Amino acid sequence: MTGTEREIVSRRCPRPPSRIVSALLCVTLAASTLRSQQLLVPMDDAQQNHLKSYGLAFTALKQGSKIEWFLNYRGGSFLLPDDPATRRKAALDGVTVAPIGEAALSELRREIVAGNMDAVALEKAPRIAIYAPPKSPPWDDAVTLALRYAGIEYTQIWDDEVLKSDLSKFDWIHLHHEDFTGQMNKLYLGFRDAPWFLEQRDRDLATAQRNGFANIPALKKSVAARLRDFVEKGGFLFAMCGATDTIELAMAAQGVDIAGPFSDGTPMDPDADAKLDWAHTFAFQGAHLEMSSGVNAMSDIDGHQVNVPARRAPLGQFTLFNFSAKFDPVASMLVQNHRNVIPDYYGVTTSFTRALLKPGVSVLATEEGAPWVKYLHGDYGKGSWTYLGGHDPEDPQHNIGALPTDLALHPNSPGYRLILNNVLFPAAKKKPLKT
Amino acid sequence: MKPVHARRTRLWALLSKRVLIGAALLAPLQQIDAQAQQAIANRAFDLEQAGKFTEAIAAWRAVIAAGDAPQGVLGLERIFSQIAQDDSVLPALDTLLVRHPTDRVLRGVQLRVLRVLGRERAARQAFEAWTTLLPGDPVPYREYAGQLLADGRSAAADTVLQEATRSLGSTKALLIEVAQLRAALGLWHQAALSWRDALEAQPYLEQAAVYSLARASAEHRDSVRVVLRAASGARVRRVLGALELQWGAARDGWRAIAGLTAADSAYESWKEFADDAERQGAWLAARDALAAMHRERPTAALALRAAAASLSGHEPGPALDLLNAARRGLDSAQTGRQLVPLEVRALTLLGRPADAEARVKESARFIDESARRAYSRQIAWGWIRSGEVDRAQAALGAATVDDEDEIGAWIALYHGDLARARTGLRRPAEATAEVVTVVALLARTRADSSVEVGAAFFALARGDSAQAAARFERAADELSDAAPLLLAIAARVQAARRQDGLALPLWQRIAARHAAAPEAAEADLEWGRALRRRGDAGGAAERFEHLILSYPQSALVPQARRELVAARTGASVS
Repeated sequence: MTGTEREIVSRRCPRPPSRIVSALLCVTLAASTLRSQQLLVPMDDAQQNHLKSYGLAFTALKQGSKIEWFLNYRGGSFLLPDDPATRRKAALDGVTVAPIGEAALSELRREIVAGNMDAVALEKAPRIAIYAPPKSPPWDDAVTLALRYAGIEYTQIWDDEVLKSDLSKFDWIHLHHEDFTGQMNKLYLGFRDAPWFLEQRDRDLATAQRNGFANIPALKKSVAARLRDFVEKGGFLFAMCGATDTIELAMAAQGVDIAGPFSDGTPMDPDADAKLDWAHTFAFQGAHLEMSSGVNAMSDIDGHQVNVPARRAPLGQFTLFNFSAKFDPVASMLVQNHRNVIPDYYGVTTSFTRALLKPGVSVLATEEGAPWVKYLHGDYGKGSWTYLGGHDPEDPQHNIGALPTDLALHPNSPGYRLILNNVLFPAAKKKPLKT
Repeated sequence: MKPVHARRTRLWALLSKRVLIGAALLAPLQQIDAQAQQAIANRAFDLEQAGKFTEAIAAWRAVIAAGDAPQGVLGLERIFSQIAQDDSVLPALDTLLVRHPTDRVLRGVQLRVLRVLGRERAARQAFEAWTTLLPGDPVPYREYAGQLLADGRSAAADTVLQEATRSLGSTKALLIEVAQLRAALGLWHQAALSWRDALEAQPYLEQAAVYSLARASAEHRDSVRVVLRAASGARVRRVLGALELQWGAARDGWRAIAGLTAADSAYESWKEFADDAERQGAWLAARDALAAMHRERPTAALALRAAAASLSGHEPGPALDLLNAARRGLDSAQTGRQLVPLEVRALTLLGRPADAEARVKESARFIDESARRAYSRQIAWGWIRSGEVDRAQAALGAATVDDEDEIGAWIALYHGDLARARTGLRRPAEATAEVVTVVALLARTRADSSVEVGAAFFALARGDSAQAAARFERAADELSDAAPLLLAIAARVQAARRQDGLALPLWQRIAARHAAAPEAAEADLEWGRALRRRGDAGGAAERFEHLILSYPQSALVPQARRELVAARTGASVS
């Protein structure tokens, strides 16, 4: 108990009829004072470790606590219960927390009501699955890296689990740079003899055969369709890097051969472009396939085309939109950050061509003056999805074989915060829309 | 207050003067030969330099009248700026711009003066008038954006460059301004990209690039490094080398330019780097550069300079190799006077005072008395470092050793005389780890003598680490006010001997009995590390947690957090 609290408690103590009664009264009052105190986790520049703050919030949810997310207040701060376990974890993780009493909290809430801010209740730790091959190193996927660093639990799933198990046991599925067109990101162009490439190809072929598919493209299309069903039934899908445009192409090409001969033994359907059915995709429409198997690009969805030197666009920086927290809480949650402008970073898919977006898709971040956008969100059926371009926010030029990013050196990474916003987003208690 | 008529008189005088100036400028210019023109300009310069501003103004007007409007206007701008009458250049400019509407110098001066006067709208109009006259010319954009950047008005400069992009189709002609703008906005990665492109196009920009990028804060420097390392050009490598030097990573700077070839003017680049590194006291980087120069064009002078740098960087071993290389190019007298001083220093630092004594003896005829005394002290130091107190005293010979003397302080320390050691080590010449440890101990204890402490440091000096550790542990019982520090020294020595089993109880003792001591956090950390090495990850995690929670202000907390993660996940700690 602080000196001030002691003072408050002692002032509240009435004239003692006896010392015992007085002592009991004081203990009761002190306990109620402590109980009413909570912990504010500031998420502006005062925060020492933004990424582990999400882990702290997740752990509180996991332990059954109800917490609040103050959208647009000090970079998207959290309000957690003030208990010894939370304080201990915050201290161990280097997360900045500040005790806040009832009076200060009331003042804070008044401030939130008055401005473009809102308080969102988070009630349940989301059940998270990461779609990644069994032997993939954790550093090959920014989300795995972020979750591990923040201390957020997840389950790793792969094709067999997606095809055969009940995905409804998860609230959130993450996809990273998987190529759902089954062409293994066209890496055969440069790595066809690399042992890791051969191992991946053999693994995927074995999975395809085990599940009754003739080839890898057929397997991946089926996986994409299952993931679409997951969203349609109310799940939340978060995809980054190459998973974003390839799942779209796979969903649009359910009955069309869009894979090159190196992956399924048959050439692409020469009319594939015209046969794509965009009615069953999340984000894009009217995209054109890259018909040449010698060009390492899938379509014109990606604005940067990093693997096609003649088309490669330079990196700039993207700006997060400032949504109305009260009227657009979902989009607001996804862009909570202590920085509005973030340096861009490459990935197999770095960005999304604006002209190909479906109506109704929310653009969360864009590069000013550029024909592409960086960060998208939308609804599909009862669920929703988010796409974030690029591979690793702290490794802008990420190359195959590059050293893993050590997030202990980037505890305040604004790019990684975008990923972790998505992790907590499914925990939000659904409020009726105000518009 | 002056009477109204007086002010009117001044106003009339001023107006008539301006009208006269205008008339003079509008009069047909008399073409004179270049030599005469230069003579008029020289006179104007001389008057300006002499501070005779009134005459200089008239002289610069004469330069304008003689046909060199740009030079004359620049002169007027300088003088009017010095006498705080910047606006006085504007009438002349207005007149001259009618005659020379596209003159870049005149337009540049106009923009600059209007900005200095705070007439932003007029400056903007002047800029627009210029771009309208020369729609495809990048110069107006470059000039205006550059001036705005110099004023720190990045946003306004950004607007101008965006206009340039729209008007010119690209900012290829404005590479420097774009680079400067990005740096001003803190977009370091992009700034590095722009400077890289600019350097490829214009070689003279190396200094500008270094100046601009050097301001990148520590957390953004890696993004600059990534960009510059990706370039193979010599200019970019030189810029990276200079940046690393300024950022305090001189060895990395050297690595950036070490691979340059003769075609890249490597020798000159290395020389420049070595000079800068020496100036900044980055001795080892300077040594590396000088050694590379020596390999390229061997001279004794270079080898000596490289050896001196190596010694200043506390690396006597490589210094000896360089001195051996230098020896071949020196005669006996040069060896005695230039090489032996460095050799004696290197040998004593390496704990080879006997060899140093032999070298001094060999070159005796080239050594004067004061040099001999300096060598005696260095050799005595060498013996002290080896724990040979008697031989140190013998090396000093008749030289007196007073209480303030550092050598005397070490001898006193080994004899357990802490009071004299404290006096002598008040201002140590070097802050080596050993000196820091001794000074810390002497500051911590109030005791004036301790045979056990003296014996412990003596054993350490002689390289008997097992004996030293045991003595430090015993000294902890003798000097209770410095007990945790003495135990920590003992534990560090045991850890250095890879004797975890002997170090662990010492760390545990500090943690248990001296929890409030400055060494307690270190004890927790080392205790945890020792447990982890033994495979007890759970016990290790407990110690790291204890450190973080008990000593949250300790500088070791970030290390403890990394160790904690590693203990929990089984990862290695880099």
